[in-house]
Amino acid sequence: MQNAAEIVVQRLTKDYGRFRAVDDLSFEVAKGSVVGFLGPNGAGKTTTIRMLTCYMPPSSGRASVAGFDVFGQSLQVRQNIGYLPENTPLYPEMRVEEYLDYRGKLRGMNRVARRQRIAEVAQRCWLTERLRWLVGKLSKGYRQRLGIADALLHNPPVLVLDEPTVGLDPSQIREARKLIAELAGRHTVLLSTHILSEVELVCQRVIIIGRGNILAQGTPDELKQQCARAGAPGSRLLVEVRGPSDQVLSAIKALPGVENVQVLADGPVQSLAVVGRLDAQLREQIAALVVQRGWALREMRLGGASLEEFFVQITDPGTSQAAA
Amino acid sequence: MSRIMAVAGRELKSLFYSPVAYIVLTLYLLFVGLLFSMLVFIPGELANPQPMFEWNHLILIFIVPFITMSLLAEEYRSGRIEVLRTSPVAELEIILGKFLGAMGFYCVVIASSVVFVLTLMAFGRPDFHPIFTSYLGLLLMGCLMVAIGVFFSALSEHQILAAMSTCVTLVALGILVGFVRQLVPTSWFAATQIRHVLGYMAIEPHMANFARGVVDTQNIVYFLTGTGLFLFLTYVVLESRRWR
Repeated sequence: MQNAAEIVVQRLTKDYGRFRAVDDLSFEVAKGSVVGFLGPNGAGKTTTIRMLTCYMPPSSGRASVAGFDVFGQSLQVRQNIGYLPENTPLYPEMRVEEYLDYRGKLRGMNRVARRQRIAEVAQRCWLTERLRWLVGKLSKGYRQRLGIADALLHNPPVLVLDEPTVGLDPSQIREARKLIAELAGRHTVLLSTHILSEVELVCQRVIIIGRGNILAQGTPDELKQQCARAGAPGSRLLVEVRGPSDQVLSAIKALPGVENVQVLADGPVQSLAVVGRLDAQLREQIAALVVQRGWALREMRLGGASLEEFFVQITDPGTSQAAA
Repeated sequence: MSRIMAVAGRELKSLFYSPVAYIVLTLYLLFVGLLFSMLVFIPGELANPQPMFEWNHLILIFIVPFITMSLLAEEYRSGRIEVLRTSPVAELEIILGKFLGAMGFYCVVIASSVVFVLTLMAFGRPDFHPIFTSYLGLLLMGCLMVAIGVFFSALSEHQILAAMSTCVTLVALGILVGFVRQLVPTSWFAATQIRHVLGYMAIEPHMANFARGVVDTQNIVYFLTGTGLFLFLTYVVLESRRWR
């Protein structure tokens, strides 16, 4: 899988006045892979992407896309990249077809190639019935699709998608993810998002950044393992019990091997997240306890480490500073 | 070149999609019609359309800002500039495309005044050479005005601000400079030179020559260098906005 790198970022830095948005960032994206670019809002995702797409020059450091330097060979980079900006700005007074035709012209495609590719991308992005519509009349979901169609139009080796599923409804999100997953192999995709399930579904690799720096990178599974190691030694147990709340909490806390109990939902029925040692046989203990006290055990399951927890853990300034 | 034409074509179409185009055309025809009926179309007089062309800049000063205001300002406001500048299009191609698109519309505007020339021809025999040079002059003057508009459109994210600053600049060059020139006291040091420089800066005397049927290289150079200067300044602004 580790082919030649299609996107190479070396010690990239961007300052906005005194504010350092991207700080000494380095990473590589292998050819044909889908890489998730993750981070909380304001982490520097969009700034990094804007430097990669030649919208703004870096303050220092270098980056290359498809073998071309973003600073010195800007036009070649732009020819080889398909970019979907964050909020898909379009011309509302143009028709969908007209817009795609215009975008094709800007990329130097001839008439035959334009006609053929417009039909192809319209089909792939489920836009065929909307080709004659005015862009301004399209719903958010269709505008997003048009943005993706535009990025795909000249069949670029590299695609950079900045939050492609924002504003789509659930079924559209599913379709968009399917499309992105299909693009893998033929295109190198850098997918910026802050939706974690998306990353788990479509990305082969994940790069998590925060405050302009890489916090973690690897495959989603690697990151989950890392999370399990970095977090509590045992996995989490999710328990739902009906009983007097203070008694339930204190009784479970008192069990041997329990390290921490978190109340997820309080009330007549309580939902608890119990963290304890793996060897303590917590499930048996809790079941016995509940039966013994005459409460009702409504649910008990193992909650595996999720990417979400990992993400929250490493991007939270408090915990990462404590770790550093 | 094809990219410049793509940008220009899109801009021209989009001008016609907006109601501004039709308001502008109406205003222009109204004003030129007034000039025509008051100064040109007089029974018994010579069929001479010169005054109509000589005072054309007075309305164009207020029309051109509306043609050019959205060119780049709107791209910045809507964020489409990001799409445009991440496409394989050079800055110069963007600027020339926008400029030519607006010029295309400007040409439609000035061409609409042909109806008055035709009316004149129906009743008399006007001399065609000054008419031809007048249109050449209007075209060159339009280049300068549109270039100024493109420049101010690149400076701002607000169309209205772009239109107003263009308008102020055009009024200054088209009307005020001429007055200020008269006000320079002869007692001043180098008063004649100052008057000469101010006279050269003003749009009106350059256009007047074309309207009279005189094609002077000095006037052509004035319009073309002015156009070049403002397009270059636009390039500088666009390039510097990238670093912010």
